[in-house]
Amino acid sequence: MFIISFLVRRLAQGALIIFLVTLLIFTLLRVVPGDPVRLMAGGMAPEALIEQIAKEMGLRDPVLVQFGRYMSGVVRGDLGQSFVRPASGASTGGSSFGDATRGERADVLTLIGETLPMTLQLAFLAIVFAMLFSFLVGIPAGLSPGRWPDKVAFYVSSIFISLPGFWLGIVLALLLSVKLGWLPAIGYKGFAYTILPAIVLAVELSPVLIRTLTGSISSAMMMPFIAVGRVRGLSQRRIIFAHALRNASVPLLNLLGIQISGLLGGVLVIEFIFDYPGLGLLTINAVLQRDFPLIQGIAIVTSVIFVLINIAVDLIATLIDPRLEY
Amino acid sequence: MNSSPVLSVKNLGVEVGTGAGARPVLSDVSFDLAPREIVGIIGASGSGKTVLARALVNWIDPPLRISSGSVEYKSQNILDLAGGRMRLLRREIAYVGANPMGALDPTLPVGRQIVEKLSAVVPGIDPSEARKRVIDLLGAVRIPSPRLRFDEYPSQFSGGMMQRALIVDALISNPAFLVADNVTQPLDVTVAAQVLRLMRELTERFDTAVVFVSSSLPTVKEAADQVLVLSEGRIVERNTPQRLIDAPQHPYTLQLISQIPKIWTSEAVAVPRTPNAARPTISIRDATRTYRVRKRGTFAAHSEVRAVRNVTFDVMPGENFGVVGESGCGKSTLMRLLSRLEFPDSGSVICDGQDLSKLRGKMLLKFRRDFQLVLQDPFNSLPPRTSIGAILEDPLRVHGMRNAKEIRDRVLAVMAEVELPANLYDELPLGLSAGQRQRVNVARAMVLEPKVLIMDETLSSLDQTEQFRLLALFEKLQAQHGLTYVFISHDLAMVRRVCNRVAVMYLGEVVEIADNERLFFDPGHPYTKALLSAVPTLEERRYKPEDCLLEGEPPSPIDLPPGCSFASRCPHAFDRCHAESPTLTVRNHGELAACFLVERQGPAPPHDGQKTGRNIPMEARFA
Repeated sequence: MFIISFLVRRLAQGALIIFLVTLLIFTLLRVVPGDPVRLMAGGMAPEALIEQIAKEMGLRDPVLVQFGRYMSGVVRGDLGQSFVRPASGASTGGSSFGDATRGERADVLTLIGETLPMTLQLAFLAIVFAMLFSFLVGIPAGLSPGRWPDKVAFYVSSIFISLPGFWLGIVLALLLSVKLGWLPAIGYKGFAYTILPAIVLAVELSPVLIRTLTGSISSAMMMPFIAVGRVRGLSQRRIIFAHALRNASVPLLNLLGIQISGLLGGVLVIEFIFDYPGLGLLTINAVLQRDFPLIQGIAIVTSVIFVLINIAVDLIATLIDPRLEY
Repeated sequence: MNSSPVLSVKNLGVEVGTGAGARPVLSDVSFDLAPREIVGIIGASGSGKTVLARALVNWIDPPLRISSGSVEYKSQNILDLAGGRMRLLRREIAYVGANPMGALDPTLPVGRQIVEKLSAVVPGIDPSEARKRVIDLLGAVRIPSPRLRFDEYPSQFSGGMMQRALIVDALISNPAFLVADNVTQPLDVTVAAQVLRLMRELTERFDTAVVFVSSSLPTVKEAADQVLVLSEGRIVERNTPQRLIDAPQHPYTLQLISQIPKIWTSEAVAVPRTPNAARPTISIRDATRTYRVRKRGTFAAHSEVRAVRNVTFDVMPGENFGVVGESGCGKSTLMRLLSRLEFPDSGSVICDGQDLSKLRGKMLLKFRRDFQLVLQDPFNSLPPRTSIGAILEDPLRVHGMRNAKEIRDRVLAVMAEVELPANLYDELPLGLSAGQRQRVNVARAMVLEPKVLIMDETLSSLDQTEQFRLLALFEKLQAQHGLTYVFISHDLAMVRRVCNRVAVMYLGEVVEIADNERLFFDPGHPYTKALLSAVPTLEERRYKPEDCLLEGEPPSPIDLPPGCSFASRCPHAFDRCHAESPTLTVRNHGELAACFLVERQGPAPPHDGQKTGRNIPMEARFA
């Protein structure tokens, strides 16, 4: 019963957040200078024609009217069509002008649907790497504060946080694929292409995870029930894995929720460097081409993901620690 | 008594620190624990009793260190046993501590953790068998509906329930001996009495020997066969409880006994009646405060927690007014209403003739100055990284003092007044004892020269000696500044010593208001009698626990049953009590009690003597 009430409340809040995000993005895109029709029709197209196309597409209506029209599509699952990209794949626009292709412009939903799984795969792998590494370094550090494992964790995370992702990406690509030939780096032709960018993302993620894990484990080990647990006859292994880790996992989860959301921004650079065909690359191109519907679509989808992740994190945290139930 | 001792402590010494800086905490402690025997260990705080309790279960962590001696169980020194081998012995050596709320993992159900312990010390036990045993024993310690409680979390248990669950946890593996370290200390008196009785019952049933450590001699007297008196880490006296009390040998024992508050004997201090005055300093009128909380297990329903219900009383200038009751009775909510941290939902709080809810701006600042609060917890109520001088200066600055020299002088004057040495001015609160910290708290309130001090359990975290000193200080301050005190407390003995008038609260209601003498010698409400029957004292009780004290804990303030809220625990409850709620009824001399059994007596008519029973019955309603 609690879970249903929780989900209903949180999903309603989430819907409101997504609505506000969409409104904001929509308005901002219309206010900034630069006419997308000019880009679509090409620099040589006559002014009258551009006005005509713009009118047909509804781009000269008041912003709120346009927004209403757009939202009515969104709730039906229609995110509109790209201004620029044809369904066939290649990018249009530029100097050539041919209105014939209009009907075949790609659906935003399809474009996102093709790239989002790639990005999710990358993000998921990055988190798995980051978690494995953080647990390996962070748990011993949290169990022996002030001693060498703690220092190792501190230095490792200090170094990792100082490495810029784009630099590390290039260096690793040079080392692991060009020199050693262990891993492929550029483009995507199979799962192996995900590994290298995931490692780079994991290096960016893990310092904060390590610090949080170290801190929350060492404070969990200070809680009275840990000492009492020993006197009650529980083994050290059980105390650490069944109790200390359990109690330390709530702050880690909360952090992870934020980190995953941040990750979707972080992939932008990494996907660009590795030419990885994910949502990040799509976003960069959409922005460069002023592809309003696509930018809006990506914004909505990412904010939906943010909201869902945070709901999931809060739900799991409450299942772990029932005192958080409110 | 032909069998050999279960546990044999020989020349045990414990030190804190290492090398030259080492300081002994325990020295040369030796005693035996016979099978089925209950040995009590008593001493003031700092006497080393908790360290001793922990040494008995091999729980000495740095910076503490065993310096000499042994703790022998089954002819081996358990202090020498490391990790794994000690862990196997945990089945036979059990421990219950003073902090029930922190003793279990808050994220897992209580029952599951007890099963976890059982299967840790009895490897290979069948899980369903373990579960059954835990549920049986939870029932045996009178936890209502143990099957449901098994799956509830520690935060859903009250302190008393939790302590019972921990006793189950300790006894589930049928240990040879149990070390109980101050188990009743955090509990309310009526609950503590129940827990104590249960512990005796269970240890008898399982033939468990017990080491019962406590700072309260009356409690130890009730529990133990033998008492050891611990002073500065040494055993200074041992005897049976009765002989120890009748003929104490060591001066420290004498001192301990002399500090136990007297309640009914003639040595008890006579507290004067409230001085008459035209206008009360505080007048709380029919105040009610209800909190809304989300109902668990429902979609969007809320339930109402009625924390304070229709409370009405006056506090006169220069009076010591006591509010007593057990945890959850609404004392703290009442404190929040009196100090204008919250407003009542209905009714009003009037201080010096002004309704608190209407105070704004300057008037509010004036009120804050006149009504100061001193809190319970000496450790969390002071900012740890601010020097004492700065803590005490702060209120002066808030209230508009600007001259640095004047501020400093005023702070030093107050520090002298509460007997804090002036050299603490630049110190952090870190190294202070609980008593000194409470003095800082009192000084922080006194620095503004208030008229009223509201003491929310200010003394309950201090030991008897320190309580005595602070009470003397309060008396001195009152004489000098004409202060009015409101003591909010669960400690009846303290209230007996200082309060002119006392209000007894139960489940958010005031069930009785009476002068000190009357309340302790002739209480009108059965709940007051129950409280009195459970006060830790060495005196002969006026009210026997057998007659007055019933099982169970107060019902939840959510969804109160109709009728008298005490009916579920009252030994005298009859049909009417379950149907309608009694209101405060005037006994003579203006004392009030809310019980149908109170002999109704109007205020004595003028020119009529005190002929008992001849007065006209009359119900005084406060609505």
